[in-house]
Amino acid sequence: MFFEAESDGTKYQVTVNESKTHWRVGLKPEGKEWVYHQIRKEDYMSLDQTVSFLFRDSSYLVDVIAKGTEYTVYTRGAYKSLKIYNEEKLLHESLKSGGGFGGGASLNSGMPGKIVKVFVKAGDEVKEGDPLLIMEAMKMENEMRAAAPAKIKDVLVKAGDNVESGATLVTFEKK
Amino acid sequence: MFKKVLIANRGEIAIRVTRTLRELGITSVAVYSDADRNGMHVMLADEAYHIGPPPSKDSYLNIEKIIEVAKKSDAEAIHPGYGFLSESAEFARAVQKAGLTFIGPTVENILAMGDKLASRDLMKKAGVPIVPGTDGPVKDVETAEKEAKRIGYPVIIKASAGGGGKGIRVVLEPKELASAFRACQSEGQNYFKDDRVFIERFIQNPKHIEVQVFGDKKGNVVHLFERECSMQRRHQKLIEECPSVSVPPEVRERLGAVAVQAAKSIQYVGAGTIEFIFDNNSKEFFFMEMNTRLQVEHPVTELVTGYDLVKEQINVALGNALSFKQSDIKMKGHAIELRICAEDPVTFTPNPGTIRKYRTPRGPFVRLDDCGYPGYEVPIYYDPMIAKLICWGSTREDCIVRLQRALAEYMLTGIKSNIVLHKNILQHETFLNGSYTTQFIDQQIAGKKQRELFMFVDEDVFLISAAIEAYNQSKSKDVSDYNLASQWKRTGRQKALRT
Repeated sequence: MFFEAESDGTKYQVTVNESKTHWRVGLKPEGKEWVYHQIRKEDYMSLDQTVSFLFRDSSYLVDVIAKGTEYTVYTRGAYKSLKIYNEEKLLHESLKSGGGFGGGASLNSGMPGKIVKVFVKAGDEVKEGDPLLIMEAMKMENEMRAAAPAKIKDVLVKAGDNVESGATLVTFEKK
Repeated sequence: MFKKVLIANRGEIAIRVTRTLRELGITSVAVYSDADRNGMHVMLADEAYHIGPPPSKDSYLNIEKIIEVAKKSDAEAIHPGYGFLSESAEFARAVQKAGLTFIGPTVENILAMGDKLASRDLMKKAGVPIVPGTDGPVKDVETAEKEAKRIGYPVIIKASAGGGGKGIRVVLEPKELASAFRACQSEGQNYFKDDRVFIERFIQNPKHIEVQVFGDKKGNVVHLFERECSMQRRHQKLIEECPSVSVPPEVRERLGAVAVQAAKSIQYVGAGTIEFIFDNNSKEFFFMEMNTRLQVEHPVTELVTGYDLVKEQINVALGNALSFKQSDIKMKGHAIELRICAEDPVTFTPNPGTIRKYRTPRGPFVRLDDCGYPGYEVPIYYDPMIAKLICWGSTREDCIVRLQRALAEYMLTGIKSNIVLHKNILQHETFLNGSYTTQFIDQQIAGKKQRELFMFVDEDVFLISAAIEAYNQSKSKDVSDYNLASQWKRTGRQKALRT
């Protein structure tokens, strides 16, 4: 099975093939060669919804949480969120962002919280670093700023709204 | 003995208090806001009452409501825990007025220590050392030189209105004083239109050392040694230990004596903590403030002295004499506490959410005061601390190795936590040799990349695990896989697809 993945800004091509005894995972970072890992099934074992993964002589307890194309892997107190797209999802993503994947066409909340104040409205032009809104989460107010110059397409929240993790707050138009 | 006690708090400290109440045969009453119906403290208490909506001011800070519940439930006393109303004189007074017992200091104690500046003056009068400095502004270079000599080098010169790096100079040697003094005066005048300048001792290697004290209503006051809490981020403690490796035995004796003297000067009742700024070069210590409550880090003191501080709080609240004398209190071994918080280990920002997997460390000499469980949603309204991992060891080295072992067993997924930050600190040379100061995290840890903090994990593990899970997910949706899906399953799925 073929996937595309993105981790820490690096794009990968990924293949996974299953046999009775192994997973064969191929990874090809953009511009580099394919590397294949033969993972014995007894070394990657689901136990009580947690995976016990024996890899390069180390024992990891792994938990993978998948939300759409986002896969977050937790192990040993470390964690990493990666994007994984299968063929169907690749198509879907390319339609959404108008070519390529992983474009930043919107501001999403990274955690559940409450909107305290909104500084912008649809049609506003913002510079990099301009404040967009203030969101309160866990007793702290966080000012969310524009990461790049953009034109505001739509503001989907107002002061006082409670938002979930991952909710879209503001959308941008490409300049 | 009390028959029933209400705990005006939540999270791990409410559970901590509930445990001692149960051991004493006292019925425990929990309170909870709308955001805490699923809180572990509610499930572990004997009784639980709803007190309002999620924001603290409408629930855990709502004095009227909490007292109403205490009366309704027939509780005789209220334990405030730490934070929330624990240092509110108004609350302590209201509890008394309602005919209930406040398990904590007197209203006068809280008022005396509540104002930081006034309490410093009070302590100065009681003979407790405070950071040496000038009493008022210094007018000219000659006076400045005289004062600096009296205070002792190094000194820091501060313009009265200074800030943002302007109007502040550290002076290490007398020959640098005159020019630094003139610079501060002129910066004060130019940037803030105020040329008043003060001089204070500059603490080069500051450590946060505090002393646990305990008083009763009969006038006895004892101390239970120090705790070092220099490991801080965002001015909040992260790791606490007892004893401190930086405190030599003769200084420990003086620290304890000064702390007792300070507490006695205000007839202190109950558990309290006197915080000092400690100069790790000269081993001098100066009063900062007193916390008139049980501290978050009280378990380290419990583990090295063997006393249950909550039990003693209740004993004192009943009007009894302290159950131990100063000469009874001995230190044995070493204890360290790590605060486990739902926060990003790189940016230190809170990161609430739902815990998925939760497997806690166990084994010899491991204590975990926590409130998490699989599926628990860490609310956004309160402090992000979800656990305190405390280990005891016969030596500091044993204790650290045990903590490393315990952290390796701790599995917490679904939210970001600072477990990995603790792993890094616990193997840092500056922590291991004990020379760390309050600036340690800012200077040695902050700014580290996630990749450096995650050195305990082979990078490939993330990608391979995610790839296999993505494969398994796609496979389970794919009906064309003849090898793995049985014909019956295929037929069933295809049938389901048609409707």
